[in-house]
Amino acid sequence: MKDNYIVQAWLILALAVCFAAALSGIEIALADRIAENKRNETFGQIANLVRSPWWEPVPAQTWQADGKTEQWVTPEGHLAYKAFDKQGTDRGWVIKASGQGFADRIEILIGLDVPGETVLGLYVLDQKETPALGNRIKEETWRRKFVGRETSRDIVVSSASKMADNIANNSVQAITGATVSSKSVAAIVNAAVKDFRNRISDLKKKQ
Amino acid sequence: MDTITSLILIAVGAAVINNFVLHYFVGICPFIGVSRRVDMAFGMGCAVTFVISIAAFLSWTFTYFILRPGAPLTTLIVGRQVDLTILSYIIYIFVIASSVQFVEMYLRKFFPPLYKSFGVYLPLITTNCAILFACLEILKRVAVPTGAAAWGATGGAAIWGLGEAMALAIFGGVGFTLAIVIMAGIREELDHCDVPKSLRGAGITLLVAGILALAFMGFTGVDTGVKKLLVDREKPQSAEVKSTSPDKADNAGIRNPQSAIRLRQGYGGQVRNQVASP
Amino acid sequence: MAKDGPAPLERFINGILPENPVYRQLLGMCPTLAVTGNMKAAMTMSGAVLFVLFCANIITSLIRGLLKPHLRILVFTLTIATFVTIADRLLQAFLYDMSKELGPYVPLIIVNCIIICRCEVCASKQGVLTAASDAVGQSIGFTLALASIASVREILGTGTWFGLTLIPADVPAKVWSTWSVMILPPGAFIALGLLLGAANRIGEIRQGRRAAV
Repeated sequence: MKDNYIVQAWLILALAVCFAAALSGIEIALADRIAENKRNETFGQIANLVRSPWWEPVPAQTWQADGKTEQWVTPEGHLAYKAFDKQGTDRGWVIKASGQGFADRIEILIGLDVPGETVLGLYVLDQKETPALGNRIKEETWRRKFVGRETSRDIVVSSASKMADNIANNSVQAITGATVSSKSVAAIVNAAVKDFRNRISDLKKKQ
Repeated sequence: MDTITSLILIAVGAAVINNFVLHYFVGICPFIGVSRRVDMAFGMGCAVTFVISIAAFLSWTFTYFILRPGAPLTTLIVGRQVDLTILSYIIYIFVIASSVQFVEMYLRKFFPPLYKSFGVYLPLITTNCAILFACLEILKRVAVPTGAAAWGATGGAAIWGLGEAMALAIFGGVGFTLAIVIMAGIREELDHCDVPKSLRGAGITLLVAGILALAFMGFTGVDTGVKKLLVDREKPQSAEVKSTSPDKADNAGIRNPQSAIRLRQGYGGQVRNQVASP
Repeated sequence: MAKDGPAPLERFINGILPENPVYRQLLGMCPTLAVTGNMKAAMTMSGAVLFVLFCANIITSLIRGLLKPHLRILVFTLTIATFVTIADRLLQAFLYDMSKELGPYVPLIIVNCIIICRCEVCASKQGVLTAASDAVGQSIGFTLALASIASVREILGTGTWFGLTLIPADVPAKVWSTWSVMILPPGAFIALGLLLGAANRIGEIRQGRRAAV
């Protein structure tokens, strides 16, 4: 009887060692690729987020992920990406923000101009809103409404569709049937840019 | 936002709004298999809650102290920061199997009739997706890469502590029990109905579950209300007006704190003044 | 050839329709409901299950001589967990967007009853070839089940199939507007329930015909 258990224990140990070796191999082989995928999520969007004006097409070779985007940090650890174009002029900042949406957390990237006073772009990284309703916050036509909004006052969500009204009120038009999702994104943007403006002077380039 | 508020929000979310069975589709096998009678369903729900709590406690401990990037014990032993999350699934499944074993021994010793009535379903709790799902949620919230502070963070812990993990686990189990008991009650009634032969058993259970899921969808957004209730209660005299409605052109500047206090709903006994701004 | 159970070919064919894991054995419901919102996610999930089931069956079959009753479930679980971790990492490396969409449901393959059941019923008792063909057969059956549910949900829910638009967006609302509920949880339950009823009915009719003959 005891023999059985010892054989079993040896089997499990042997299996565990083999599997641990296999997993370490996978980790070594794939960890870099996975990290790059995660980075590209953010870096892939930076060019789009600091385009100004938004109707300008992005020239094909304007950005490269390495070297043309610098990472700046505050003493507390807040990370902001500073985007430069090919000529070396700084075009603006990109920050990551997240908050509670209607259903679950929403994660967004916000593009700001160099002094941090205007929103230049918005990109939704992660959301689990209602399909066909709140889901539409990821559509480009809605995200584009944030371009040009000032950060000195709160961005509000309204039903007005005229651009002049929206510029005057610093508002974006809500998605029909998804008011709460729209308001959640506006709230996340407001909180994040307020925090950014307060800390913009503390930012130092990450070495 | 203090700890109690965030715990309540997590609890309400796990039990009702994002119900494990009806929103995340985990724990369906016992949901269909054990929901024929209310007493059996309640027993299964309690057993699952018990096992989830133990498993969540152990997996949080392992993840926080050993597995996550920058974990204290690993950094102490190895000397630098390593990321051991690749072993997390194996560790979790071992933790779950051990928890079920422990619960089995406990029941066999102290509640023999209950143990007998469970029969083969008790070891099957190991393959209950709900428990592994709770562990995975905890992994998602604990294994956050170190050193990333959030812009405009509005409260709630960045890395979940033991309290948040246990709140998720226990109330996730409560939500599972709720769903399975409701289903058992409905199925007891369905026994007297003329269900078409091809739908008997799993088919009609799934259809009823669909209607239940529709009903539970009505809870979405309750956490915003609960949050407003709890967070606004903490600062009733705040002069800040955080408004997102369209006609607030007086957003800029607070002229007079009295006029700025504007409560849109009366919270059962709180200040009911609605002072229009001059 | 294994003499102590069905032959490899029989295992393979059984897995597709007669012993279909979802419609006949009612196993693996969790991913069936969760990832069938669109065809791409469903096919990725079935690919992952094929990989894990295949590898787990082969390894279990190779060590079946050493397994004793007490700890065999532990050995199965350890094997499955390892291969699921490998599958998860491969998805994160090569299909990152799909991995984000599938979310926690890839690691939930570990407790997918299909895989443990096949290890227990077939791989721990029969040879490598039988185990392999059983794995492939069951995976094809699982894929068919997922495809049927995902097609229904995606076409009714968004008017697309595999991302290709089937129902043009400019169809007037009086004629057709998408049933968004099919993408949401209630739609998943209802679609699976009705399809299960349909599968049972088809089985009944065929049995009736066979009995009449």
